[in-house]
Amino acid sequence: MTHTLDARRALVGGGGALVVVIAAFGVAALFIVLASKNPFDTFAVLFGYTLGNAIGFSEVVVRAIPLTLAGLGLCVAFRANAFNIGADGQIMVGAIVSVALGLALPGWPSYFAVPLSLLAGALAGGLYGALAGHLRARYNASEIIVTIMLNYVALQLLAWMIRGPLQETMAIFPRSDALPPSASLDVIIAGTRIHEGFYIAAAAVALVYLLLNRSALGFAFKVVGLSAPAARYGGLKDRALIVLAMGLSGGLAGLAGSIEIAGVHRRLQDDFAPSYGITAIAVALLARLDARFVPLTALLFGVLHVGSGAMQRQIGIPFPLVWIIQGIVILAFLYLSYMRGRARAITPEAV
Amino acid sequence: MDWIFLIGLLASAVRFTTPVLYAALGETVTQRAGVLNVGIEGIMLVGAFLAVLGAVATGSPWGGLFIAIGAGAILGALHAFFCVILKVDQIVSGIGLIVLGLGLSGFGYRVTIGSSSQLTAVPTFERVDFGPLTGVPGLGPIVFDHHLLVYMALGLALALGWALKRSGLGLSIRAAGEAPEAADAAGVEVNRLRFLCTMFGGALAAMGGAYLSIAALSGFVENMVAGRGFIAIACVVFGRWNPLGVMAAVFFFGLAEALQIRLQTAAPDIPYQFFVMIPYALAILALVLVAGRAKAPSALRIPFITGRHARSRAHRHKEDTL
Repeated sequence: MTHTLDARRALVGGGGALVVVIAAFGVAALFIVLASKNPFDTFAVLFGYTLGNAIGFSEVVVRAIPLTLAGLGLCVAFRANAFNIGADGQIMVGAIVSVALGLALPGWPSYFAVPLSLLAGALAGGLYGALAGHLRARYNASEIIVTIMLNYVALQLLAWMIRGPLQETMAIFPRSDALPPSASLDVIIAGTRIHEGFYIAAAAVALVYLLLNRSALGFAFKVVGLSAPAARYGGLKDRALIVLAMGLSGGLAGLAGSIEIAGVHRRLQDDFAPSYGITAIAVALLARLDARFVPLTALLFGVLHVGSGAMQRQIGIPFPLVWIIQGIVILAFLYLSYMRGRARAITPEAV
Repeated sequence: MDWIFLIGLLASAVRFTTPVLYAALGETVTQRAGVLNVGIEGIMLVGAFLAVLGAVATGSPWGGLFIAIGAGAILGALHAFFCVILKVDQIVSGIGLIVLGLGLSGFGYRVTIGSSSQLTAVPTFERVDFGPLTGVPGLGPIVFDHHLLVYMALGLALALGWALKRSGLGLSIRAAGEAPEAADAAGVEVNRLRFLCTMFGGALAAMGGAYLSIAALSGFVENMVAGRGFIAIACVVFGRWNPLGVMAAVFFFGLAEALQIRLQTAAPDIPYQFFVMIPYALAILALVLVAGRAKAPSALRIPFITGRHARSRAHRHKEDTL
């Protein structure tokens, strides 16, 4: 049975995603016309700026690194039917902890300081995600609401940290001191901002693919996702699996946040990863929760986000068009899943 | 805690309660009929934006309110299209609405009012004139010094509390969410009812957004709903799907919000961010305390499928699951 499902998925995987993207751009064109601008000029700028030259494309890759990591995390949670909407909070918590540690270890060699601070960030994000998983498994508290509330808590925590305990020594701007080079990720292609996080993201794609598609744990996540009672009947610890899935999911988001700081910004500041977590939802869904497709959809949304800046400057199309496109991608994805006749009812476990 | 502080606190709690109450009452009806809409945050945002745009265009806050309500009903219908007709995952559809609402309101604002260089005057609701009653010490500021929308929300909570429990329509709605097969057998058009209840929930969410932008404030700010849509959903659980309970839960949050703002100035030594966290942390606590014991409508999130078509569809679902 799984075999035919996988075959069907492979058959429509790529083509379906393309249909979704075309639908989203069609709707976007409509809104561009409503704003009395020319959609063709707008899309020409969007793609010309991002795909038409090496520097633009390198920025897309830089943006795709955290989106890939956070998107992979959401694949893990969504497979287990745990709706982690809290990647944004997990990204922030991860970044806070990893920067705090990176700043506390100035003299340490980088082969020690970098992995340690990144791991600490992943662990912090993981615990933040696992907390929501625990509240869902133990108290039946909807992980959707809990993770969103935790996003707002993390936002305030970050705001306080960079104005309080972690504020720069000069105490002028709301930001932390810069990480020492020994705690930062190096640029791997001179003249761009593409950093060593690229390798980490690539490794994560392979690991998450193996975890979800080739391991017993991945299978257990899938079973719990399809039916928690069935999983329990089959001898699986459904509650522990949900906590673990949320923990891994948050861990990857926390890693994304840590890497974004260590590789790009080098210091903690407000809005260093603007709504990456929400974008990662669209990344994961469009990839049909398949780790192999996540880098591709992450690049696609990277194009959208990087290009939208140019779109705004050159044509005057407001940035929130990106959210409209992302919303349509999610809804079009749903329509596609209906077309495949794969609409499935889910028993209300948590609300 | 002195007297004046307490009066100010309660009066401001009433104002914080109102927008969330609209959204939470709408969500209560939607969920009682069996549909979960986690996207009301997005609908509130669109409501807040269109209320301003409509008020400016028509020159009256009422024009803005009606346009917002209409748009909310349309977005509710969009959600219902996915959940009731296509029967796809209700949560993913709700997430789509959140993001779409963020985009529609932000984009719409920036290409209309936000793009003009001079400040646009927004026609807003006036507070109801109760004459001398407003001056009554204590009672005046708390009870007789609000916008009409505040009293309408209160009336709506009472009316819905009665209607869900006592009216025939209320019984049908509850049946659609608890035992759709039985409701269907009794002649209730379950899916049509669910569709309408989801539209109703959308319309009320937009009304809550409109209160924020053309009554509480006069103007739209991007992302101004700031999580109130999600707090509303937590309040539905906390109030156990009963409009009066939901009203009490929302008032509790309104009180917390009013209190945390006052605490920011009362305790300047404590970083204010910790006070801002309070309502969000309380929402988590409320869910933890109540969700395990509260009983959601039995058929919440389960699409209702009728007839022979249903059996083949259910069969296919079973195949997929195993």
